[in-house]
This record gives sequence, structure tokens and C-alpha cells, in this order.
Amino acid sequence: MVSNKIEVKNLAISYGGKQALGNVSLEVRSNEIFGIIGPANSGKTSFLNAVNRMDMMRPNMQVTGSVHINGIDTRSWRNVYALRRKIGVVFPLPVGLPLTVYDNVALAPRLAGTAGSKADLDELVERCLRRAALWDEVKDRLNHLGSLLSGGQQQRLTIARALSQSPEILMLDEFSIAVDPVTTMRIEDVLKELKNEMTIILVTNLVQQANRLADRTAFFLNGECVEIAETEKLFNGEAKDQRTNDYIGGKFG
Amino acid sequence: MFESTLVNQRNDQVQKRFKMIFGVMLVILIIPVIIIISTLIIKGSPSISWPFLFTDPTNGMTEGGIFPALFGTIWLVIVSLLASVPLGVAAAIYLSEYAPDNLLTRLINLATINLAGVPSIVHALFGVGAFVVFFQFGTSILAASLTLAIMTLPVVIVSSWESLQSVPRPFREACWNMGATRWQTIWNVVLPNAFTGILTGVILQVSRAAGETAPIMFTGAAMFLPFLPNSVFDQTMALALHLFVVATQVPNVPESLPYGVALVLVGIVLLMNTVAIWIRMHLRGKKKW
Repeated sequence: MVSNKIEVKNLAISYGGKQALGNVSLEVRSNEIFGIIGPANSGKTSFLNAVNRMDMMRPNMQVTGSVHINGIDTRSWRNVYALRRKIGVVFPLPVGLPLTVYDNVALAPRLAGTAGSKADLDELVERCLRRAALWDEVKDRLNHLGSLLSGGQQQRLTIARALSQSPEILMLDEFSIAVDPVTTMRIEDVLKELKNEMTIILVTNLVQQANRLADRTAFFLNGECVEIAETEKLFNGEAKDQRTNDYIGGKFG
Repeated sequence: MFESTLVNQRNDQVQKRFKMIFGVMLVILIIPVIIIISTLIIKGSPSISWPFLFTDPTNGMTEGGIFPALFGTIWLVIVSLLASVPLGVAAAIYLSEYAPDNLLTRLINLATINLAGVPSIVHALFGVGAFVVFFQFGTSILAASLTLAIMTLPVVIVSSWESLQSVPRPFREACWNMGATRWQTIWNVVLPNAFTGILTGVILQVSRAAGETAPIMFTGAAMFLPFLPNSVFDQTMALALHLFVVATQVPNVPESLPYGVALVLVGIVLLMNTVAIWIRMHLRGKKKW
């Protein structure tokens, strides 16, 4: 069944009066990987922050327009914490919290009060780490500090942590910036599997990554959503806007 | 091809000269410290003994020990900490984690920093007005401790604030994105990592509270008392004031006595600072990112 998981209408974001993203309207379908490409400073990260209502934590960030998730306006969610628990986020730079590997993954369920028994939690931690393709490397040192793992491992730890809250939506913000190519490929394989269970928004600065993974791709440029289309079409030179062709063709950005 | 040019040589010489200047500065700086501590040890150590630490002063304070003063200082420090630490850390958490960045917050920050520079005698007079007279605590341990607390509060706030700020912001963002509330984030991630810094700041204030004379002189410390305090509403003797008294106010005191008192006072302060450094090193070895 194809339905819209996220519907964005006339979304505009500005910081202290300076517009970062304007007039974006798009839909993200259930169980698709929705790619967002575009050069730096084009409003990609701001878009993600608006989806999980992080503007609440940033006093100078103003958001207008609407974001509906599961058909419900995110602004009408009384409990934004429950909203954020439905959305896992992975950052450009890996953030291994200075807790043990185990506690990093167990933190979200514990905070949400859904941790359950020790055995349940053990099982959850193992499952999340396995799905993030990290279990084999850390199973013998679950009580080591997560912040001392290598960069690539920390990024997979971040993914495991994002999965621990059983999210319906996974948002990745340029996850491969600080990660070696081998780890990047492993994470990409993980994403292809996760797609069956959740909706994924993949913000990436690597055009080819969007090509490999995304079902549909949006091109953001200077705070404007230039074009949204099936990824195949964009990469077959069927983009409607010349700027999209130029960016994908490597003429700028 | 790797020979040094004229510019290289000059840079090298300048660098050597500056290294020497800084080195000399350092030596000049530590000379007074060495002189003070060695004088105290040489002149004060003959009077240090168990009876000196654990008996009352006798014969018009020219003989005997310093137990009531030592006991009183510990009382004052503990009660002032009970007031200043919860208050100071809570204020720092508010300023660092909750307060919006607006004019009011900046004014509060500025006021806090300036408050740290207010002379202790002014704090003393404030203590007399507020705690002794207005709240009617009388001259008591409570009044003196609260005065010390007010004096140490700004530094506790500033040092705690700095420790909280040193926890990287991405940690907070990661937690918020997980659906954690601000308080859950503070409790689970920010505070555990700021703990060492906060603790160090607090312990450094302990040594300051133990050493100050002016704030307690009018608010709760007595020159001589024939009994130990039973509650926070009693007056007490205190080491810092006792040192002032035996050094200047009492005739015919043997020379080693004030030095002995001073040595105990400095000893307590140094001990506290050492504990702070030790805790810091110990915990820092464990927590890393």
C-alpha cells in the first residue's frame, strides 16, 4: 500500500529573520527512501529539524507552514517527546554519548520508560546492534565507553541508538561524512533492509549515494526545493530543471 | 635544501628568548609560595601535636590547643556548603540549560561575575544586616555560614556554569532527538559529565570559606568561647579569626603558636585542594570523548 507518511505543505524556515528554506511542499511515502541532495547551506538540515520539531529547542528558529506525520499536524501533537521517539535521527558527525555501548543503545527505551526487564533490554540492545551491523565488533565490550569507539563504529552505534526507539521514520543527515567507504557501504546495506520496516529520509551530499539508495529524490538549492522526482528519472537526465541536471552532472556543488 | 635561512634563525632566537622570559616569570611567581610555606613549617611545626589539635586553649589563649576553632571552622564550612552548593548548582543549571539568551540572562550573568568581586567585608556587613538582624539568627553559626555561602555562591555558579558548558552540544541534541526532555538530558548526560568540574569548583570554594575572616567576624565567630557550639544557633570559634586574635590581640603569646595555627589552616586548605585535584584526575581518566 502506498500512502503518505509525511506531508509537508508550504514549509518555510528562517533563523532570526534570515530565510534558510522557503516554500517547500512534498510528500514522503511509507517505506520509501526519500533522498535529499543539494550543496551546503541549501536548507537540508533545517528541513529535518522542522520535521521532528527541534525548532522548539532553538529560540531563533522560526517555522511556518505545516508538517503532517501519519496525517496529523506535528504542531497539534501535544507530546513532542512522543513525536520525536517515532523519529530516529543520525547526525553528520557520529555522536557516541559518553556512556557504555550498552547504555548508549538502552538510553532511549529507559528514558521513555519502556525498557522492561533486563532480559528484554538485553535482547533489544543485541537486536539493534545487529541491525546496525555493529554487534560482532562490540559484543565483547558492551561495557566500554561508546565515545571511545572508532568513528565508523560510533556512527553505527548512533544508528543502533536511533533504532532502539522503534522509530517509524529514520532521518539520516549526511551520515557518511566522517565514515570510511567500507563502513558507508555496510550502512547503505543496512538501510536497504530497514526500508521494509520504516520510512527513511536520507540527506546526503553524495549525489551517487542518493542514486544508489533513494526511491525518490528532492534537490534543494539555496533554500529552495528545486525539483522532486523518481531518482531514476533524475539520473537519466530527465530532470525538468536545468540546475538539477547541472548539479547531478557535477557542473557545480 | 634544509639549511635554515636568516628568518628561521631569527624566529628561533625570538622563540628561545620568550621561553626564557616566561620561565623567569614562573620562578618569580612561585618564590613567595615557597617562602610562605617553608616559614610556616619551620616556625609552626614545633607547636603541632595531637594535644594541640584536640584540646582547648588555656591561660588566656597563650597556651593549649585550638580544638574549638578547628571544630568551628568545620561547622562553618559544612553549613555554608549545604546552602551554597544546591543553590549555586541549580542556578548554574538554569543559566546554562534553560535560560533563553536575552537581556535579562546576560544581566544576571554580569551580576554574578561582579558579585564574585565584591570585597568580603561588604559581604560581612550584608550578613549582619540580613541574617543577624533581619532574619534574627543572631550572631550564630547559621548567620556566619550563610554569609560565607553568599560570598562563595557567585564562584560556585560561574565554575558550575563553565563545567556544564564544556559538555558538547551534540550530546544534548542527540538526547533531544531521542525524545528526551530537557531534564532527562541534563540528568543522564550533561550532569554526569560536568560533575568533576562542578566538584572541583566547590572544593576550591571550601578552602576559601575556611580561610575568610571578615565575613564571620561580625556574624557568628567569637574570639574565645569556653564551650563548643551545640547547634547552628550558637556562636563558635574559627581558625581564621583565632589566628588573627592570637597574632594581634593577645599579649605574651609564644611565637610558635600563631605559626602553628596558620600551619593548620594552610594545611586544611592544601588538603582540600589536593583532594580536588585527585578527584579530578581520577574521574577524568575514566570519562572521555
